[in-house]
Amino acid sequence: MTRTLLVFLALGGAWVAYTQNPQGKQAPATQTKAPAPFNLIKIADDLYDIDGGQAGNVAVYITNEGVIMVDDKFEQNFDEIMANVKKVTNQPVKYILSTHYHADHSGGNTRWASVAEIISTRNAHDGIVQKKQSNAPDGMVPARVTFTDETDIFLGGKEVRAKYYGRGHTNGDAFVYFPALKVVHTGDMFTSGTPLIDYPGGGSIVEWTKTLDAVMGGLDFDTVIPGHGPVSKKADLLAYRNRAADMRTRVQTLIRQGKNRDDVAKFMTAEYKWAPDSLNMQWSLPGMMTELR
Amino acid sequence: MSRTLLVRLSAGVIALGCAWVAYTQAPAPQGKQQAKQPNNTISKVTDDLYAIIGDGGNSTVYVTNEGVILVDDKFEYDGQDIVDKVKSVTNQPIKYVLNTHLHGDHTGSNAMFLPTAEIIAHKNARDNMVKNKAPGVMRVVFTDETDIFLGGKEVRMKYYGRSHTNGDAVVYFPALKILASGDMGANNGPNVDFANGGSIKDWGKTLDEVLKLDFDTVIPGHGPVSKRQYLIDYRDVATKIPATVISMVRDGKGKDDIAKVFTANGGLFANPNVVNKVDQMMAELKN
Repeated sequence: MTRTLLVFLALGGAWVAYTQNPQGKQAPATQTKAPAPFNLIKIADDLYDIDGGQAGNVAVYITNEGVIMVDDKFEQNFDEIMANVKKVTNQPVKYILSTHYHADHSGGNTRWASVAEIISTRNAHDGIVQKKQSNAPDGMVPARVTFTDETDIFLGGKEVRAKYYGRGHTNGDAFVYFPALKVVHTGDMFTSGTPLIDYPGGGSIVEWTKTLDAVMGGLDFDTVIPGHGPVSKKADLLAYRNRAADMRTRVQTLIRQGKNRDDVAKFMTAEYKWAPDSLNMQWSLPGMMTELR
Repeated sequence: MSRTLLVRLSAGVIALGCAWVAYTQAPAPQGKQQAKQPNNTISKVTDDLYAIIGDGGNSTVYVTNEGVILVDDKFEYDGQDIVDKVKSVTNQPIKYVLNTHLHGDHTGSNAMFLPTAEIIAHKNARDNMVKNKAPGVMRVVFTDETDIFLGGKEVRMKYYGRSHTNGDAVVYFPALKILASGDMGANNGPNVDFANGGSIKDWGKTLDEVLKLDFDTVIPGHGPVSKRQYLIDYRDVATKIPATVISMVRDGKGKDDIAKVFTANGGLFANPNVVNKVDQMMAELKN
């Protein structure tokens, strides 16, 4: 009887874990009955942002020889991205520059790989191949073309620059810069939330702010497309960088006072709204305990 | 009808006739004169890698089950011949063309491949092509390294610094331990293209870095498929040339004396592309 009860409880627990533990960040987007449609936001006559909550922001840069896109959200977002692109141009999507390897930014590769040339950092490629994202869907497709430092695309007389500035969210985050427009897409190195440090994917909270400093020092831009959240200004990126540095200092102080992981977890929940079962707790907290010791 | 008018009319008709003949006939013979006949052979290096040697720079053909990766595409008139030679060894289409540098004997067929393949080169190579108004300018460039993953295979294209120009990349096939060196190692050099950022001062150092790669076989920019030792010897020559110039200038020797020594040394030293550029080397090494 006791054993039966235990099995029953265990099964019940597994069910709760299964239903509550998201296929990651995409869970809300995929499981909600009627997900809100993406917003198509005009940044310039030839540059748009396809916003989308849980799915990363997609930049759409239009040239007279084709479209250059930044990121491609989840696999299931293919049709909606395509429909949004078609709202603003008849040009085909020729290139996709990936900011990093996570499924909410590169998941669409499975569909787009046969349509466009996908380019990412070498480390983003390796992250997909080595399945470093714990909640990634099966069968993710990496870019065929990778770079380590910088790659530039020249299309229809326009230029787009993708560059690696160092570790942060992962060890393979690219910033995509539109020099003619002074716009940069930061990927998840800047979002409307707190930094999600993917330590299993090579991320680092210590390097994060240095990387952002290099970007702000190295690129001349006014407008920022974050990985998630509204189109912002350079000052917003600086404020985010400073909040990240502040968070790091506070956590480091606690760790050096001898607080354990549970203490720090409670602090993060209270101060930064890190939910106990969140990816922040899974990916970031253990790594921070080590890195900030 | 006056005789004058008749003469004028006749002259007009003859002139028109001549113009017609010129219009219809001229293009053909002219075209034949200009169209050089390609002269290339394809040879197997491994089961999935071939070298096309003959006109212009050497091309390397890497076959995967998702397409072919081609290194360099010779002159414009070689384009169709490259396609034919590739077809003789695989049905796979050419998906990527990697240019080792800007020169027309390595990028001449770019314009033909551009609509169907992705062409990739170093950023400086592209900048030089734009500056020189060269045809077939690529859409994709890199600065340090770019890797192509196709059909489960990997090709690594890497920039190590200045040599023949300021935008020479080597192409490395890690699974085969083969390196396509471009003109960083070619039997018509070391030939420094100073106008496009080349450097005799840096050439040897750049090859020092290249030689850190683990390869056994070299497909040079020009000349037969060779062993690793070829590039080691080449590095030694490329290092000795500036050292010789510097020491002879210090001893008060002039351009002609230095050229004579290079000629007497024979081998790569005696190449006209070395001997005839001593003055430019002196200018670079003065700094």
